[in-house]
Amino acid sequence: MSRSGRFAAWWPGGATDPEEGHEPDPRFTFANERTFLAWSRTALALVVAGLGIVQLLPPFPGVPIGRHLLGVPLIVLGAVLAIVAYGEWVRNQRALRRGDPLPRSVMPWILGATIAGMAIISAIVLLVSALR
Amino acid sequence: MTDPEATDPDASDPEQSETAASQTAEGDAGLALERTSLSWTRTAISFAALGGVVLKENVITGLIVLAVVPLVWRLGRPPRSGSPPGGLPTVGGRRIRLITVSIVGVSLLSLLVAVLGPSVPGALHR
Repeated sequence: MSRSGRFAAWWPGGATDPEEGHEPDPRFTFANERTFLAWSRTALALVVAGLGIVQLLPPFPGVPIGRHLLGVPLIVLGAVLAIVAYGEWVRNQRALRRGDPLPRSVMPWILGATIAGMAIISAIVLLVSALR
Repeated sequence: MTDPEATDPDASDPEQSETAASQTAEGDAGLALERTSLSWTRTAISFAALGGVVLKENVITGLIVLAVVPLVWRLGRPPRSGSPPGGLPTVGGRRIRLITVSIVGVSLLSLLVAVLGPSVPGALHR
């Protein structure tokens, strides 16, 4: 799929023939909506965590930017997660309308990889702070 | 001893079975609506929690985030409308887009507060 086609696939109605598909079972539509909302709350929780780290934690001795190093990526990840969750909602809803199998979600991969990365950065910041 | 015919769905009257299935589906649809509504409420509460954290650091930004809370709560309330064939649910799509834009906006505001705002080091210890 081309880049513009991929973008259009994320936009409701952008890559869908108006005559194609049918109204899915409302329970599936609601379930898709709840999944999106759950990811949205995860995104908000990441923003709260990032803000809390930057604003409330005591500074790491010897690592002046330590709190920002840990907090800012979490806030950015919150924004990214919200956007990707929207794309997932659109793709799932489109698949439901067409009766296609649900596409594989990339959200757990993004979240898992970022949390692992944050854990490594946290360990490095703590070690550097402890050694100085 | 239970009557095997009473518990075996295949052995029961097809018409009764269809009615029961329809009632179950309607019941599930109702609960799905309620669960979704509660999910919207939880999302609004999450916005409120974020607003509270931001409010501690920057009053104006915190009030902006808190102003989103009634909007989110209201978004979870409108009656569901059917979607046109081939399209996404019109109302649902707009609501989902609004939530996404709100979260991205709030994240950017939080980023500004985190980077530019005055920090309170060690506030957790006080």
